[in-house]
Amino acid sequence: MLLSELILPVLMVMFMLTVGAYVVAVLDRLIAGAFGAPQAGRVWLAPMARGAWLMTQHANATEAPDWQAWRLAPALYLALAAIGLAVVPWSESLVATDLVTSVVLWGSVEALATVVIFLHGWSANALLALIGGYRYVALGLSYILISMFVLIGVALPAESLQFTQVVASQEALWNVIRQPLGLPLFLIVGLGMTFWGPLNLADSKDLAGGTASEISGPPRLVWDVARAAMLVAFSGVAASAFLGGWMGPWLPGPLWVAIKMLAVLLVLLLLGRVLPRIAPERCVTLMWVVLLPLSFIDLVWAGIGALL
Amino acid sequence: MTLTTLLLLAAALIGIGIYGALSQQSFVMLMMGLELILNGVMLAAVAFWAFSGAGAPEGQLLTIIVMAVMAIEMAMGFALVVAVFRGKQADMTESLTGLKH
Amino acid sequence: MNHGIGIDITFLSLATLAVVTGWRVFRTDSMVRASFFLLVSFIAVGVIMILLAAEYLGVAMFFMMAVEMTVMALFMVMFMMNPAGLNPMNMVHQERISIGAGIVGFLVLGAMALLAAFPDQPVSADLEPVRSLGNEMLGDSMLIFESAGIVLLTTMIGVVVLSSHRGRYGAAAVGSLPPGLEPGGDPAGKPEEKDEDEEGGGHHHH
Repeated sequence: MLLSELILPVLMVMFMLTVGAYVVAVLDRLIAGAFGAPQAGRVWLAPMARGAWLMTQHANATEAPDWQAWRLAPALYLALAAIGLAVVPWSESLVATDLVTSVVLWGSVEALATVVIFLHGWSANALLALIGGYRYVALGLSYILISMFVLIGVALPAESLQFTQVVASQEALWNVIRQPLGLPLFLIVGLGMTFWGPLNLADSKDLAGGTASEISGPPRLVWDVARAAMLVAFSGVAASAFLGGWMGPWLPGPLWVAIKMLAVLLVLLLLGRVLPRIAPERCVTLMWVVLLPLSFIDLVWAGIGALL
Repeated sequence: MTLTTLLLLAAALIGIGIYGALSQQSFVMLMMGLELILNGVMLAAVAFWAFSGAGAPEGQLLTIIVMAVMAIEMAMGFALVVAVFRGKQADMTESLTGLKH
Repeated sequence: MNHGIGIDITFLSLATLAVVTGWRVFRTDSMVRASFFLLVSFIAVGVIMILLAAEYLGVAMFFMMAVEMTVMALFMVMFMMNPAGLNPMNMVHQERISIGAGIVGFLVLGAMALLAAFPDQPVSADLEPVRSLGNEMLGDSMLIFESAGIVLLTTMIGVVVLSSHRGRYGAAAVGSLPPGLEPGGDPAGKPEEKDEDEEGGGHHHH
């Protein structure tokens, strides 16, 4: 029982995280190459080479940082990504943690990610890192609200807060069609939550790397892997909540989940390369004035759909 | 994990919270003491729900309401801290002597 | 309820974690660390709640306390003089009384826990806590739920009003003077200049 309930899910999650982080790095380089960025070396080996290089680098030190929090923050972010991936159901019975309230657990992963990213920016005792952390917190609160309303809308037809039930309720029609506002809003939330591309306010170029501006060496490697892992976990949740999870014709369940996760990852990475970064002030207005009312409409739509 | 051990843990949290609420000079630290007290209260409520209440739904409802009250108290407390700071430049309880006799 | 030894060990370690981090909140120099120690204490209590089969409450604790403690950390940085703990700090008053009050509180409540006879009606194994909570909140206790929502809305409005720069007669920078940098001192900001050039001499405008 210990094997099947504890060791196997942990191994599954770790395997998916490493494979997923590698796939994210490779896909990002492929997309960048397709848009004309110069490539150094072969795409398939480049992430490994960079990882090996980072492992040999010296880990930077600033003046009087909060050492424990600074070194722990990337590892904590990776742990949160692992918890997020643990709630994704690979088939009806293959899921790492089948908690009854797994939708709310994903919400708490998002909320705790705010804590960890703020700590990462704060504990470096450096100006640009602190600004990056504060920018993320200022907007993170709005993403969490939008994401919870959208996920409640998804949980309504399932009449449960369990992701396996949410996927099972999409047998007739996928949620991306049944609740059309849901997936676009959730993708925007995903870009914000993993601070990728247009909503990259925590680690942006105008802050010389933001919360990651002072880290190098192994902590930087863990941080980059954690960001890719959170993208993977988010795409898993989006695939389960909106794209029907393990459901599909000829192929086995887990393979369908992997294909749908890959599709969501492609969309997110493309948006990351194509759209420019939004200014924080405009972001706040956009989130609270446009997207939050849209998420209310999505929730009302889902409620009416569940009643009929 | 019996009812007694859970209630002892809740009592410990409430005791630490009382110490914090009474001893801290800064407003924000005082509020953290209050949060600890409410933490202990919530744990005690869930312990009673699980062991003595036969899972009656009112137990969980009480805990949810206490969580909402916690959020309300924090929000109003911080707004008052901001207002007091703007009016009197005071960030410690020692600076507020208006009602002192 | 009969729990296995694993759950008991988990509970004991979580209980010590909750109490130790709760105590460290008031003993640490770094204010941001204090709010995150409190978060760890809340998370430990949340996991204990999940162990007690109150699954929704435990996960809701993680969710709400994460954001609340982040906001608290931001307010610490705003209002406290030593947010990073680079200098040692001990801002307490009436320390003996408060230690006494804390110990008395713990002893009284502990005595109640040890000596009182509580009924033994454990939660049944086939209860679905989330479903029963949902039915209760939106069924018999709908009024409580709705009034809690209204109170939260009132709080939001009250908080915005209390901390807004706009008063009843306009924005703060327009009609009023900012408070002094010392209590009772001159208003902060540039002092008003008396334009003496306009009084004497110059051209008269009819």
